[in-house]
Amino acid sequence: MSAVAGYAAPATGGSGRGTAIGLLLVVLGWELAARALVGAFVLAAPSQVLAWLIENRGLMGRALAETLGNAAAGFVLGNLAALALAGIALAFPASQRIVTGVALVVFCLPLVATGPILRVIFGPGDGPQIVLAALAVYYTTLIPLLVGMRAAPATWFDLIASYGRGRVSALIHVRLMASLPYLFAGLQIAAPAAFLGAMVGEFTGAERGMGVLTIRAMRALDVEMTWALATVATAVAVAAYLAVGAIARRVLQDAPPIILAPPRAEGAEAGIGRLLLSLAGVAVAILVLWWGAIAVFDLNPFFAKGPQDVARALIWAPNAAMARASLGAALGETAVFLLPGYLAGLAAGAGLAILFVLAPAVAGTAMPLAIALRSVPIVTTAPLIVLLLGRGALGTIVLVAVMVFFPTLVACIHGLKQAPGQVIDVFDSYAAGRLQRLIRVRIPAMLPAFFAAARMGVPASVLAVTVVEWLATGAGLGSMMAISASVSDYNLLWSAVALTAALSALGYAGVGLIEVRILRIYAPEQLT
Amino acid sequence: MTRYPTFTRRGLMATGAAGLGVAALGLTPRAARAQSSVALQLSWLHSSQFGGSYIAQSRGWWAEEGLDVALLPGGPNAPVEPPVVSGTALVGISAADYTAAAVEQGAPFKILGVAMQKNPFVIASLPANPVNTPADMVGKRIGMALANTPVLQALCTLNGVDIGGIEIVPTQYSAQPMLAGEVDCLLCWETDLPVAMAIEGIESVTMLMADFGYALHSQTYIATEDSLANRRAELVGLMRGEVRGWNAYREDTDAAAALTLELYPDAGLDLPTQQMQAARQVPLMFSDLTDANGFGWWTDDTVAANIETLALLGRTVTPDLWDRSILEEVHGA
Repeated sequence: MSAVAGYAAPATGGSGRGTAIGLLLVVLGWELAARALVGAFVLAAPSQVLAWLIENRGLMGRALAETLGNAAAGFVLGNLAALALAGIALAFPASQRIVTGVALVVFCLPLVATGPILRVIFGPGDGPQIVLAALAVYYTTLIPLLVGMRAAPATWFDLIASYGRGRVSALIHVRLMASLPYLFAGLQIAAPAAFLGAMVGEFTGAERGMGVLTIRAMRALDVEMTWALATVATAVAVAAYLAVGAIARRVLQDAPPIILAPPRAEGAEAGIGRLLLSLAGVAVAILVLWWGAIAVFDLNPFFAKGPQDVARALIWAPNAAMARASLGAALGETAVFLLPGYLAGLAAGAGLAILFVLAPAVAGTAMPLAIALRSVPIVTTAPLIVLLLGRGALGTIVLVAVMVFFPTLVACIHGLKQAPGQVIDVFDSYAAGRLQRLIRVRIPAMLPAFFAAARMGVPASVLAVTVVEWLATGAGLGSMMAISASVSDYNLLWSAVALTAALSALGYAGVGLIEVRILRIYAPEQLT
Repeated sequence: MTRYPTFTRRGLMATGAAGLGVAALGLTPRAARAQSSVALQLSWLHSSQFGGSYIAQSRGWWAEEGLDVALLPGGPNAPVEPPVVSGTALVGISAADYTAAAVEQGAPFKILGVAMQKNPFVIASLPANPVNTPADMVGKRIGMALANTPVLQALCTLNGVDIGGIEIVPTQYSAQPMLAGEVDCLLCWETDLPVAMAIEGIESVTMLMADFGYALHSQTYIATEDSLANRRAELVGLMRGEVRGWNAYREDTDAAAALTLELYPDAGLDLPTQQMQAARQVPLMFSDLTDANGFGWWTDDTVAANIETLALLGRTVTPDLWDRSILEEVHGA
């Protein structure tokens, strides 16, 4: 266990030096890059950033307090919602696919569309910022939580049953305990996401906060201010990440148990039939919620379009063919960025996690880099990446990959740690090498977490690609949604929203199909 | 780490509660004057772009009209139309093209006043490679949002320039791509990116599109037909405050900029930028027409020119999109 804890606890002993070296490298590379790019107005050196922060500490402090407060409120609300949803899904197993499906579709709703509607519902104030922060986190907690709640040995459930206790006791005494490592993995990913959500929420019309300052700084060519904001946002996200990690190390003392679950006898056909049934169930639930939300909040039909409006706009309206054609074209543009970015992000995340296990010394240096990369608000990095990689597809693909890569990395690291200590002991007694242990124990133990990350990566990559298209490249579905909102073409906007959410859900289901086949071999306890 | 925000939020709540208490105590004299609360939805973040409204508010000109006006900030993801349609805001700051598009989609809007007589769109370039007329754009790369292609197309049509000869590069809204040499010119506002460059010590050339036939009212006041029918007194009071505020703004733009910073210290504004922006905005807002008839005015001729430009942008509108009755009451015409 101690060797395993080493790469997750870069703050202790030898790897503390690694972290320091990593940080030093970041600052040095940054300073050099900024000096090389003087006059391009994209990057400010760390020394300039520090000077700006000292001079404007009052302004920055107030903005940080505002955004951090909203992000924290959203973080708490979103995670409570995730806990509640996971509880429902496990107490009523039949509802699980519906719950996760609806949660997924809601998570996939693009910010461009939800932001203004939240603003109309909440009016002036912090409402949209908090809700967008909550929406950014609840799903990344829910999915690992559901995986973790099943990662318990059958014998533990037998024990509960032998005491004559039921599902609720199993939930409290076994599932919640077993889910803790996964819950912490989710919370770690959620921390930076909540901050980004609160910042983007300020785009819907706020008086203060770091998002407001970011817009101001970028338009004003104020590179020092832009990077001071990015630095503070990154520092806060990294601090939150490390704090959750520190709590996790305090709480999680026991070695993971051996999970031996009997393979299920169910055939693949039944799986697909059940999948279709739950897809239909999710679709019905979404339509009911869609209609219901418009009615409950009494939203004006000028901008709140229901399913019937979208169907009319896409199927039998006079210009439906044109709407379909422009949606199709935008979707094509988006897919070109989305798919390579998604796959590259998954590969990089899993690959790096495995590298960290093989070479724990690397982890101390690379982990702070990885956290920083993911935590820098996408809004500020987009122009720099575009400058470095050009305005072609590569820049967008890299940004998507960055968004997918980090959650995958964190999930896989936690997954690799779930290798049962007793099995590792057996390998030790045979003097098996690191590579043998990796291939035969750790990677199979990592698979449930990897697939959870792969599923979460679908909406995360869709979110990333639409935000980049909206704010930087001006192509694809993201840009189309922004334009249709600005010219009040809400039929087209809602059609694009429905299409985006539906495709994300289908992508998620597709990953789920692959997952079922592979987990049947390596982690059958996940297939309930 | 977790304690600090809790503490501040609690502090905020305590302040909020104290504020409520004060409001409750102060309710009696206020209620006697029957203030009615209305909101004005701005089209962007707080800045001296809306300085006239800040003056009206801080000098109590709306209070004199019996109005308590909330100024709601906009932003990159804050379209103006939904809050106005749903009644969150009585009046919104829009532009003729956005309003025409919303009306086409069924929104019952009227334009009550025109703050920017001249459209603020410019083609900005650097002195070494300047764009002084639309024909100069041929053979150059222009950085802009693809969404604005119809705007460029309209300018080209008005001036007999072939848009095919211009290379459009989709960029974020910033002067950075031009300074990095990625593009030769930018489609932007007279009052934002050129001001940012000037503050950084970079000289730029701006070609105002309004000087080349692009007639399109901007920063227009919109309200719903329902408000026009049933809330006339509030609309007149709101517009009367606006007119007084913007006339004062014109008198002293530096004071307007200073007031903006005083009212919104958290908006990250700096005084020189706000002063320059305010000064550059005045020539767009005031003209012989407004000198003769008052702030916000229009005539049948200017509306006809707008309808022509809107047609080039693919919008079909009729003159009754503009309703001058509120403004006529304000100016006593």
